[in-house]
Amino acid sequence: MLKLLDSWRRPTEREGSPWIGLGAVLFKEMADHLTGARMRILELLIVITAVGTVYTALQNLNRNNSEFLYLRLFTTAQDPLPSFVGFLGFLVPLIAIALAFDAVNSEFNRRTLSRILAQPVYRDAFLFGKFLSCLLTLAIVFAAIWLLIFGLGIVSLGVPPTAEETGRALLFLIATVFYGGIWISLALLFSILFRSPATAALAAIAVWLFFTVFWNIVAGLLLPVFAPQQVTNLLDLIAVWELQLALERISPIRLFAEIAVILLRPAERSLGIILPIQLDRALLGAPLPLDQSLLLIWPHLTSLIAATFLLFAVGYVIFQRQEIRA
Amino acid sequence: MHNARNLLALAMIIVLTLVGARPSQAQEGLVIYSEYPSIVVGIGETLNLDVTVRVPESGIVALDVSDLLDGWTAEYRGGGRVIRSIYVEKDEPARLQLRLIQPERIAAGTYRFQLVARWGETTTTFPIELIVQEKTPAKLTLQTDFPVARGGSETTFSFNATLKNEGGEDIFATLSADAPREFKVTLRAAGKDITNLPTEIKANASQRIDISAEPLTSLPVGSYPITILAQSETAETSLVLTAEVLGQPQLTLTTPDGRLSGDAYIGETTPIKLVLRNTGNSPAFGVRLSASSPTGWQVTFQPEEVTEVPANSEVEVKANLKPADRAVAGDYIVTFRAQPKEGGSKSVDFRITVRTSTLWGVVGIALIAVALAIVGLAVVRFGRR
Repeated sequence: MLKLLDSWRRPTEREGSPWIGLGAVLFKEMADHLTGARMRILELLIVITAVGTVYTALQNLNRNNSEFLYLRLFTTAQDPLPSFVGFLGFLVPLIAIALAFDAVNSEFNRRTLSRILAQPVYRDAFLFGKFLSCLLTLAIVFAAIWLLIFGLGIVSLGVPPTAEETGRALLFLIATVFYGGIWISLALLFSILFRSPATAALAAIAVWLFFTVFWNIVAGLLLPVFAPQQVTNLLDLIAVWELQLALERISPIRLFAEIAVILLRPAERSLGIILPIQLDRALLGAPLPLDQSLLLIWPHLTSLIAATFLLFAVGYVIFQRQEIRA
Repeated sequence: MHNARNLLALAMIIVLTLVGARPSQAQEGLVIYSEYPSIVVGIGETLNLDVTVRVPESGIVALDVSDLLDGWTAEYRGGGRVIRSIYVEKDEPARLQLRLIQPERIAAGTYRFQLVARWGETTTTFPIELIVQEKTPAKLTLQTDFPVARGGSETTFSFNATLKNEGGEDIFATLSADAPREFKVTLRAAGKDITNLPTEIKANASQRIDISAEPLTSLPVGSYPITILAQSETAETSLVLTAEVLGQPQLTLTTPDGRLSGDAYIGETTPIKLVLRNTGNSPAFGVRLSASSPTGWQVTFQPEEVTEVPANSEVEVKANLKPADRAVAGDYIVTFRAQPKEGGSKSVDFRITVRTSTLWGVVGIALIAVALAIVGLAVVRFGRR
C-alpha cells in the first residue's frame, strides 16, 4: 500500500499539513453564510415551510393512534400542501446549491483567491473549509428546524417524544444533511469548473432537474437495454422489477425518498418487491425495530455519504490541478 | 147427640193412636232427611250435607246427631252460623246444612250415624251412611336413566331426570340440590332455571328436568354424590346422582419465562425453549409437537414427541426455527402446537421478529471508508501549495 502511495506521489513532496488554515477558512465562511442576506431568505423559506406543514399535520393527525406521533408530524400531508418530507425532497437540493454554487468562482472573480492563498492557508484547507462550512451551515439550519418541529409537537401534543422517535428523527436529520451534502459537492464541483457563478448555478440546477423530472424516464428507456429480452417466468419478472428499482436508485432524490419512508414510517418492512409468500403469517403494521429499519436503508445512507465524499474528491482533484493565479 | 159426639172423638183418638204407633209415619209429620243418605267421600274430606226438616205444626225443632264416632265433628249450620235448633213453619220445610269434619286419622270404611230431630215430645231420626274411601295420595317420583356422569376435573356434569306427580292433585314442588361445595348445581325445566323455585306439576303429569353441575374449582379425582330433592307440602322425593371425576391431563404450552416473542436472523437457526406443562391430575402421553410457520420456514423440535408429561410437572422442549431466506425483516406469527394422544391440542402463538444480518452494514461502512480513502489519496497525490 505504501509503495503504491509512493509510486503515486509526485517527485516534489508537498510541504506541511493540508489542515493548516482550515479553521480560519471554516469560521470565516460560516460567519459569511450565517449573516448573509441569501441565508436569511433561505431560512425564512424553510421556516415557513416547516411551520406551515407541521401546523396542518397537527390539524390532521389521528391522535387516537399514539404510535410515532412525532414521526407523523413529518409525514402527514393536507391536500394542497405536501408533507414536510415532501417539501424537503426539493428544498434541500435548492438550499445546498444556493449555498455552494459560487463558493470558489466568486473568489476568482473578486480576485481574492491568490490573496487568501498568500496567507498560511493551503489549497486543501481552502476547499475543505468551503465544503465543510456549507455542510455545517446546512446541518445547523436543519437541526434548528428539527428542534422547532419537536417543540411545536411537545406544545400541541402534550406527550414527550419516545427514544425511538427521537432516534429515527435524528437519523433522518443525518440523512437529510448528507442528501444536502451531495448537492453541495456537486455545486462546489461546478463552481470550480465554471468561472461564471450563473453558469455554475445553472449547471447544478440542471442536474437537479434532470434527476427530479427526467431520470425516471431515462431509467425506463434504459431498462430494455439491460433487462432480459424475454420474460418467461416470475423470476425473470422480479429480475426486471429489481433492475428498474436499481436504475431508479441512481437518483439521490429516490434514495432520499426511500430513506424518509423507512425511517419515518416504522411499519414499512421492505423497499423492493414483496411476494405474497413472504408475507405469509406476517404481522402487518407492526413497527420494525430501529436497527432493522436502519439496516434496510443502510445502503442508501452510506451511498449518500460516499457519493458526497467522492464528488468532493473529484472537485478537489480538479481544483488542485487548476491554474489559480489570475 | 152429645154422647154421639163424644163417641166420635174417642174413635178418632183410637185411630190416631193406632196410626201414631207405626214407626216413622206416626210422629205426626215431623221429618228430617237428606236427599242422599249414602255418600262416598275421600279421606280427610270435609262434607257439607243438605238437610231438610218438616213439621206438621209450626214450632221449634232441636237438632242433634247420634251414633257419631269419636273424633268426628258434626255441626248444623244455618244462616252462616252453627245452630242447635231451628224454627220450622207448618207446611214449609226448612233447609239447613250439616257439616261433617273427619278426624285427623281415619281408616277407610263405612261410617253410620243418625240425624236426630226433636219437636216437643216427638223425636225422629234419619240414618246417614258415609263411605270413606282412600283418595290417591300426593306422590312425587324422580327418575333418571343415567345417574352417573363421568368427566374431567373441570367439565360440567349434565344429568336429566323426570319428576312425576303420581297423585290426584296438582301440586307445587320445589326442587333443590344438595351437592358438595365444589359444585354449582343448576336445575332447569323447559330452559328455565327452577332451582329453589316452586314449580307446578299437574296431576299425573311429569316434567323433564335438566341438571347441570358445574365445578367451581379443579376437582381431584373421585366421585361426588349430588342429591336432587323435590318437595311439595304433602310429598317429597329425592334422587342421588353421581359425578365421577376421572383423571385428565391438562396441557399448556408456553416458554420458561412466559415470554412469547423472540428474534430470529435470516439464514440462521434460532433455538426457542418451550415448556410443556401438565397442570392436570393425570399424565399426558405421546405429546406430538408441530408448528404452523410462514411459508419457507423450517421448524424442528427436539424431541419431536414427548412420551410422557407427568401430572403437575413440566417438560422442556427445544424448537429450532429457521426463517426463509427470502423473509422480510419484521414480525411474523409462528404457532406451536402440542397434540397429546388423548385430548385436545394446545397451541401458542409466538411472535418472531425477523432480523437481517448486519453484514451489509459493514459493507456500507467499507464503502464510506473507500470514499474517504480516495479523498485522502487525492490529497496526498495532488496536495500542493
